[in-house]
Amino acid sequence: MAHNVHVMKFGGTSVATPEARMISAMRVISAKEKGIQPVVVVSAIGRRGMPYATDTFINLLKEIDPTVEPDPRELDLLIACGEIMSSVIFAHTLKTLGHTAMAFRGGQAGIRTDGVFGNARIVSINPTALFKCIDQGAIPVVCGFQGVFSEDRTLPGGELTTLGRGGSDTTASALGAAMHATAVEIYTDVDGVKTADPDAVKEAPTLRQVTYDEVAEIAHLGAKVVHPRAAEIAMNYNIPLWVKNTFSDDIGTEIVSRDKFPGRRVTGVTHTGKLVFLQFDLSASEKTHRGTLEASIYGTMERYGVQLFMLNVSPESTGFAVPRDQYAIVQDVLDGLVIPVGDSDSRVVYVFQLGKATPEVETQVKLLESLGEVRRVAAKLTEGCSMVSVVGHEYMQQPGVFLRALEVLEDEQIGVLQTSDSDFSLSVLVPEADTMRTVKLLHARFGLAEVV
Amino acid sequence: MRGKDKGMTQQTGSPSSFSKSQISETDFEKQRGISHVEVRTGLTQVHILDLDSPTSKSRLKVMKVVADAKISLDFLKLTPTGMSFVIPADQTQLIADTLTKANIKNQLATGRGIVLVHAVNMRDEEGMIAGILRQVIETGITVDHASDMHDRILIVTDESQAERFKSLIEKGGVNGS
Repeated sequence: MAHNVHVMKFGGTSVATPEARMISAMRVISAKEKGIQPVVVVSAIGRRGMPYATDTFINLLKEIDPTVEPDPRELDLLIACGEIMSSVIFAHTLKTLGHTAMAFRGGQAGIRTDGVFGNARIVSINPTALFKCIDQGAIPVVCGFQGVFSEDRTLPGGELTTLGRGGSDTTASALGAAMHATAVEIYTDVDGVKTADPDAVKEAPTLRQVTYDEVAEIAHLGAKVVHPRAAEIAMNYNIPLWVKNTFSDDIGTEIVSRDKFPGRRVTGVTHTGKLVFLQFDLSASEKTHRGTLEASIYGTMERYGVQLFMLNVSPESTGFAVPRDQYAIVQDVLDGLVIPVGDSDSRVVYVFQLGKATPEVETQVKLLESLGEVRRVAAKLTEGCSMVSVVGHEYMQQPGVFLRALEVLEDEQIGVLQTSDSDFSLSVLVPEADTMRTVKLLHARFGLAEVV
Repeated sequence: MRGKDKGMTQQTGSPSSFSKSQISETDFEKQRGISHVEVRTGLTQVHILDLDSPTSKSRLKVMKVVADAKISLDFLKLTPTGMSFVIPADQTQLIADTLTKANIKNQLATGRGIVLVHAVNMRDEEGMIAGILRQVIETGITVDHASDMHDRILIVTDESQAERFKSLIEKGGVNGS
């Protein structure tokens, strides 16, 4: 008998309440009754702020002493509890509806990862236990977002690891690949991948097909859709991947490989959250010192794990945008940073200054001046901005695409602070207050209301 | 249901009706960090200078002139008094003629290349984009412009420097960042 495994992944909102779990469970049962062998993957119950959401668990540690960083290994053990609870509750929900189900931790499901706590990558899956469960007529319910790491595979047990962003989507896709599933379905609370955030464009249509590259670029530029890691695995193993709405019968969006979508089009408009843009003026520095100064800036951002958007690098200046919630870190580590460059005969001491000089920076400069030549590397700050991007497939190389975008923004008096582009996208940095209007204007400009 | 196929279960001692290949362990995700470096050559960087105020309107006029000439521009960057962008080198003469005819002050830098530093899912690895830029800068190449995609960072620089950077990264290994 040919097998027909469908991996059905339910996100936080699909398992948040008893009612939502019941609807999700009915979808699983309905699939089983059609002759499909469902393998369920679940996220933690609910989203940020809810009692059993991942962030709530993290706060339990932060509340003890916010200045002490939790150990990553311990943190993984804690936050994995959300999915464990969710899987048991979901399995029991299925049982109450007359269907045998078994909950599995990631390790029990055979998911092995590398040893990077908090952001592990899947290295292998042995789904024997899941197949046994299916063979017994039961429905496996697997915890998303987790696996197990063991340096020595001959030893029992192993360390629990979590998969980082998009972890549950990745679990679903990887299980689909390992079990030769005929489909992987990601259930969420929207109908699929939209052409824009419905909060900005109410009538934004659902795309019926998107390519892996489009999905990856949309996620890279700020939108929340299926995670690129999941799409990548599905593409590599040629497994149909769908994004569907738990709460509607819309057919959803299919993620396909590039060769299956040869057309040219604009896919959608995305936007980031609040950003702060920093542009460092290097013109006061010696040309031979600029590399050292830039490497210091980027090395510091690397060390502190700061996310960069909208790179704007040139021989005379260097700049980027950072998420507003990371700006405090940036300010803490860069404002007043002292970098001495050159040998003892020609040493110049550079002091970084973000925006207006603080009294601390002024004092520091005065102290250093008594020791030798001091120059400032000043960064112009633009607070309260966001990045809006147009994502396209085989589209951006056409003459006049940027013009079309900038024209409509100029007509509507939206000040574009900077631009950026790549093979798949063009982006504009705009004042935060104009974000939704910019999304709406670009959505209309590129005719996205008619895209399917 | 396959679960009732007890004969096969007894034979294999593991999943009944699934073949061994279906349950073999498989590699899934790509490794972190820089996977490879690629160089595209044959580009010209165009710097548009001293535009009339308001600059935003003047920039649009320039872009219209360029679009009307059927020239595709990439790596558009706004500068305080103008803008810069990159075009294919075979359109250098066309852009020179077009801009001259439209009386637009410009500088052309020929022999530009793009270094593409590939690293998957950069947004998920904290600090990775900054780390790649640090590595690029530490090799001593002059970055004329930089941009990023989900799986690569694109750096516009001199063609000869682009090749040198590629070779430096390859010699140093391309694992991790």
